[in-house]
Amino acid sequence: MTPATSAAPDAAVPRASAATLDRFSYDDDIVRKFLFATLIWGVVGMTVGLLIALQLANPFFNFNTQYLAFGRLRPLHTNAVIFAFAGNAFFMGCYYSTQRLLKARMFSDALSRFHFWGWQAIIVSAALTLPFGFTQAKEYAELEWPIDIAIAVVWVVFAVNFFGTIVKRRERHIYVALWFYIASIVTVAILHIFNNLSMPAGALKSYSIYAGVQDAFMQWWYGHNAVAFFLTTPFLGLMYYFMPKAAEGPVFSYKLSILHFWSLVFMYIWAGPHHLHYTALPEWASTLGMLFSVMLWAPSWGGMINGLLTLRGAWHKVAQDPILKFFVVGVTAYGMSTFEGPMLSIKSVNALAHYTDWIIAHVHTGALGWNGFMTFGMVYWLLPRLFQTQVYSKRAMELHFWIASVGIVLYVVAIYSAGVTQGLMWRAFDETGRLQYPDFIETVLKLMPMYWMRVVGGAFYITGMGIFGWNIFKTWATRPAKYEVPVIEAAPLAPKYVETHPVTPAATAWGRFNQVQWHRAWERAPMLFTVLTVVAVAVASLFEILPTFLIKSNVPTIASVKPYTPLELAGRDIYISEGCFNCHSQMIRPFRYETERFGEYSKPGESVYEHPFLWGSRRIGPDLAREGGKYPNLWHVRHFENPRAVTAKSIMPAYSHFLTEPLDFDVIQKRVDAMAMVGVPYGDAVNKAPAMARAQAKDVAAAIASEGGPKGLEDKKIVAIVAYMQRLGRDIKVTATASAPAVGRSGGSH
Amino acid sequence: MKLSDIMAAAGLSFYAQVALVLFLIVFVAIAIRTFLPSRSRELDEAARLPLEDGPVLRPSLQER
Repeated sequence: MTPATSAAPDAAVPRASAATLDRFSYDDDIVRKFLFATLIWGVVGMTVGLLIALQLANPFFNFNTQYLAFGRLRPLHTNAVIFAFAGNAFFMGCYYSTQRLLKARMFSDALSRFHFWGWQAIIVSAALTLPFGFTQAKEYAELEWPIDIAIAVVWVVFAVNFFGTIVKRRERHIYVALWFYIASIVTVAILHIFNNLSMPAGALKSYSIYAGVQDAFMQWWYGHNAVAFFLTTPFLGLMYYFMPKAAEGPVFSYKLSILHFWSLVFMYIWAGPHHLHYTALPEWASTLGMLFSVMLWAPSWGGMINGLLTLRGAWHKVAQDPILKFFVVGVTAYGMSTFEGPMLSIKSVNALAHYTDWIIAHVHTGALGWNGFMTFGMVYWLLPRLFQTQVYSKRAMELHFWIASVGIVLYVVAIYSAGVTQGLMWRAFDETGRLQYPDFIETVLKLMPMYWMRVVGGAFYITGMGIFGWNIFKTWATRPAKYEVPVIEAAPLAPKYVETHPVTPAATAWGRFNQVQWHRAWERAPMLFTVLTVVAVAVASLFEILPTFLIKSNVPTIASVKPYTPLELAGRDIYISEGCFNCHSQMIRPFRYETERFGEYSKPGESVYEHPFLWGSRRIGPDLAREGGKYPNLWHVRHFENPRAVTAKSIMPAYSHFLTEPLDFDVIQKRVDAMAMVGVPYGDAVNKAPAMARAQAKDVAAAIASEGGPKGLEDKKIVAIVAYMQRLGRDIKVTATASAPAVGRSGGSH
Repeated sequence: MKLSDIMAAAGLSFYAQVALVLFLIVFVAIAIRTFLPSRSRELDEAARLPLEDGPVLRPSLQER
């Protein structure tokens, strides 16, 4: 290990004279570590993806075990691909490019190592908790509160290391790639903290402090910006460094990249509510989200064009160089998915696409194409530099490129057609004015050929990953016995700025203002720049968040809506831990085909006690917002035990363990207390929740037995989840003082 | 009176429009500044930063 050496104790010499130069080396060991983590988690995340794709095509692949069921593995797949695969890829490229762009070794090797091992530990804990059913039920933020705290700590360590490096840099100008990194680091921190504010109710259980409409709003403010600031801006930063490197020429237009940056930072943060069109979210918020999403078209395509045109004069190389091929397809996929994103945010398009597989196809264009291919190109470019040898097989790179490209095409074509088919079937009426496909299962079975085609496409892509891994391993095996560590020489930054492009001051004050020297001074202050970015993001967020939270008319309350009973709450927790929300929404939109199929549309006031909201983001199964009272208790018991006994060809996993596993009555009190802490008026239940739960469980078990079902279920999980199912959507059917399940004081705080 | 009541009574919804206008102004200012001819040379040099890796001296060896 060569420590960074400094031959210039006297740093007061201005840069222009360059009398003394610092000598230092870069830390490439950390880059190598992140490279291997990217590969390993990429294989894991995509393999889980393939497994859940198989489960949708044939429920046999749930293997009749709760730990591998779709609802539990789906968040594992999304988290692994987003935070483990793409996350490690970003850190890899970030650590490589930051050091070089700032002409400085990272601030602290120890912090770099802590960041690496901390992040891997978080991924492992995610892989251990999600299959066991520990989840917050918020998309891409499923991890429970202790892991959330660990994420915040590791992220702060990363930020300190990164900004420390900026402070000790030897390059005056902060290159645009670094701006994108800065925005990503600060914004992800803000998003993560505010979305994950929750009230713990046990070591691995918590309830969001927000409820219903507000929780949904926070979640999609986070969810959309996780896509923006974890999968888009970091990779744009990487694009602005690695594309010029691979093309051996500067970016097409640096000015365009500056505009690209600011317009993304200004606009992205507003766009989240388009995920909640036609839900109980107030109209103004979703319209605002749509407006900003549509405007995002311009900067996104500006960025894509800037990336592609960076290859001007190098297009002849694209045919020969697989690295450039990966980059070209990656950037094109960015263009395609950012064309589609604004399109999907338009309300009339969204009405068709929302809750369908169209959204799944959309995200995979981005993830497989943009994040995947940019990562592959970057890794192949880094391999010879990090391992100081030739890439083992260029032909394998070509093969990887083609097989993965075919995989993407098969995947997205299949799932786009599945999504559109689904959307059109849901809304189809026949000539007599009745739903053409009243049975939801019909609209699912129609998709099976496309689901199988997705499996084939995914298998192609994973085969490409296999080739990728093999090539990396073979390259690594031919590395030299010792790595060379180049020693770099560069002048330290002068403490006082020396203008490299002096401008003669204008005669008038207005003229001097127009020369914007003041702004140039700002730009030399990266920490100030960071603060300004935070201000932009925070201000934009607050102008959406504050009204949603504070203007009461946005969520009109309904007097008959009461909190869940302790047993129903326990059932809701089971529903959450099984990941049922991954397939079932609890949000009926105000369309005739939805109200016809599922019942009265959902009102904002219905979810005031829903911590967290459970509106879902897609429908693989029917909506459950009005499930209560639709079927007898025994129907639910049979349905959980074996879905295919009730609905032929259902693709739902079996939950027979509900009938055998005991319900833990002892934890119920803690959970009711936690709900009371976040403002749910539980009244008496805060003292005697377990007794209340046992009494209701006895009633439910007796009802099941009287319907001819199995006896002795009063202490099993099934009674809780059946109680929850039977409660869903019933409150607004009763009048204010009638027989809503009495939980505590009626009315509560409003 | 709760904080939320006070905020609700304050009628702050027009702030969103104000923020929108502020953002637009800032953005236009950045755009104008970026395309000022006096900045061309500086920005062209900045664009070349990824390509300038600095002189390399006496490579030393590192245990792998």
